[in-house]
Amino acid sequence: MPASIDAILDALPYLLQGSLVTIGVVLGAMGLGLLIGVSLALGQVYGPRPLGVPIGLYIWFFRGVPLLVLLFLFYFGLFSLMGLNLSAFAVAAIVLGLISAAYQSQIFRGAILSLPEGQLKAARALGMSDTRAIVSVVLPQALRLSIPGWSNEYSIVLKDSAVAYALGVAEVMARAHFVATRTYEHLPLYVAAGMIFLILTFLGTRGLRMLEDKVRIPGYSR
Amino acid sequence: MKRGMLWSFVCAVLLVGMAGAPAAPAGDMELINGIDANFPPFSYVDKNGNPDGFDVQAVNWIAEEMGFKVTHKPIDWDAIIPSLRAEKIDMIASGMSITEKRKEQVAFTNPYWTITQVLVVPEDSNLTVEQILSDGNKVGVQRGTSEAKWIQENLIKKEGRDFELVMYDSAPLSVEDVVNGRIVAAAMDDAPAVDAVKKKPVKILGRFGMPDESFGYAVRKEDKELLETLNEGLRRLMASPYWEELKSKYEL
Repeated sequence: MPASIDAILDALPYLLQGSLVTIGVVLGAMGLGLLIGVSLALGQVYGPRPLGVPIGLYIWFFRGVPLLVLLFLFYFGLFSLMGLNLSAFAVAAIVLGLISAAYQSQIFRGAILSLPEGQLKAARALGMSDTRAIVSVVLPQALRLSIPGWSNEYSIVLKDSAVAYALGVAEVMARAHFVATRTYEHLPLYVAAGMIFLILTFLGTRGLRMLEDKVRIPGYSR
Repeated sequence: MKRGMLWSFVCAVLLVGMAGAPAAPAGDMELINGIDANFPPFSYVDKNGNPDGFDVQAVNWIAEEMGFKVTHKPIDWDAIIPSLRAEKIDMIASGMSITEKRKEQVAFTNPYWTITQVLVVPEDSNLTVEQILSDGNKVGVQRGTSEAKWIQENLIKKEGRDFELVMYDSAPLSVEDVVNGRIVAAAMDDAPAVDAVKKKPVKILGRFGMPDESFGYAVRKEDKELLETLNEGLRRLMASPYWEELKSKYEL
């Protein structure tokens, strides 16, 4: 189907620019998710008991409400009511980040809980404060252990980012759609968009795998 | 050393994330026109990714004539009126039909275009409009459009005709499914239908009883000044030779 290949080649530069938008949204979301996710996990494991309730509510809410609903809620509702005129791009990154934080928190919590309990006791015995022990002993190990789960989360956020088009973010899928409507080459363009997502998934998970190997502590079982 | 690398990675991710989030646009006099980029030839995105189309060029001309700046922002059709009301965009010039229901939410300029709704069928189809709208057939339409609403309220609810309405993201996608044979016909405005006929093995069967509609530009109800500016701009545009030029350029 040479016509289809022509259609893909024609649209490729435009789609690739869109992949930068996609990457931006995903990096923003993963970064925000990491920050909040680690905090939630630490709060759940080490925080005082009452803290568990709001954290539980947060996770329940962001894991439970569909992405599109949250995007609309934040873009047209919450941020506008707060007087913040954030761009669609920023809102997409923030909402995806808040959702990802809920999932990431459980990745980190699992990793923290998998560490031998004796370590904290040993750290205290060495005279470390609890905070110090968590920052210097628990987190470095837990974050390393989280990388496999994190690469899962990355590929999910990557694909979820396509929903951001509902707010007008011109990422890969939206652009594929634009070109398809103009040229009536729907199938080739969706195939091209799919391939771009495949490549982005590969690069991301591959990078995380390399990071995992790089930060591995020699002689310490994974 | 190892730990340093982990943290620098974490910091890098965070920094990129923050840098990626642009600040809110500055409050200069530039207006944002929201468009449905899936509505050729009125509004679409050209080969280089720039918004183009009859409505886009018309608004560009009006902006220059009336002395304001304008950019065009593609937005999902479902979200376009909420975006206008939430001040994410300032106007909608993208083949929007003036309807009573929409008038409750936004203000329209004077009409600039009359549009007819038609059924698009496969080239080799010999069904009549009557046959299509019966026998439990499936008919496609773009979600959130005035024709989708009209068909539901009049043909299905009032007349109780026996056919099923299938909703699509855009009119061209419903045309794809006409070609696939999943639906027997797609209902849409005549201009995108003409565009579809040029690019796909389909033909225009004819009207299905929906009264003609008019396109107008939509603005927020309180933006009376902008409404006047656009009305004056439209009046001047339609009186100028450029109007005919636009029509022939976009084969309307």
